Amino acid sequence: MTELNLIEQYAAAAPIAKWLGFSAEPDGDDIVFTLTFDERHIGNKLIGALHGGAIAAFLEFSAQAALSARLGGGQPVATVNCDVDYLRSAKAQDMKARVRFTRIGRRLAFVEALGWQKDEASPVAAARFRFRLGETEK
Amino acid sequence: MADDAPEINPAVGAMLQSARDWLLHEHSLFKTLNLKPLLIGRNKATFSVFLPDDFCDASGKVHGALLTLIMDSIFGLAAFTALDELKPVATINLRTDYLSEVGPGGRVVCAAECNALRGDIAYVSGQLTDEAANRLVATGSGAFIIGARGPGRESRL
Repeated sequence: MTELNLIEQYAAAAPIAKWLGFSAEPDGDDIVFTLTFDERHIGNKLIGALHGGAIAAFLEFSAQAALSARLGGGQPVATVNCDVDYLRSAKAQDMKARVRFTRIGRRLAFVEALGWQKDEASPVAAARFRFRLGETEK
Repeated sequence: MADDAPEINPAVGAMLQSARDWLLHEHSLFKTLNLKPLLIGRNKATFSVFLPDDFCDASGKVHGALLTLIMDSIFGLAAFTALDELKPVATINLRTDYLSEVGPGGRVVCAAECNALRGDIAYVSGQLTDEAANRLVATGSGAFIIGARGPGRESRL
């Protein structure tokens, strides 16, 4: 099963992926993730900007799905913590993301995600995540 | 800035009142989360928030991303209460630590405090607690810019 298949499988099992309008598609050797815009993602209707929390949620789910797939699927991937930087305003439209693995160790993984809308060179948000791999205390 | 802080600026208070009504009744995301204000004061905002099934991960637990989403919203509101005049508030960055799992169907309490307002930057921290179990679920801290401008005028309430 390819990483893309594993990501799709991961997303299909998680209700939050549906809320996000989450999808993934190949981009050369890489994978690009999409948040398909919906009114529910708006933070302030008067302004019509994407909610910062929706942006963070999309980046975190993208990072988690990508990591799970890289590990072959099936292994628990729990977020330890995250930092999100909001780089510029995000409009009421689709958002894309790309994920980079900084380090994948035995117990921990360090992952970055970059999100953009029209132009990847002008990202709207950048996030760093630390994940605990394998079974952990609940 | 907590105990001897002045009351909320009346204009900001009026805005908060209308924002609260809008959050509770008009906004699809926040209506789903059934926000209940427990405390709104100068530099402080505490809300009880419902955790719907829509935001679960594959294991059936609430995805941590929802906790970040809740904190981003309530932290922004806490920053707003510190203002002396109406200005848009936008998140610069947010850090979240996930301390324990929580299932859907219950409520969490998000308590946020604006610790400092330095020029046009507000520093906010807070925590999420499982309302029924009284267990800490997540902590966070963030910086917010006051008077943010831009194409999207990224104010968030």
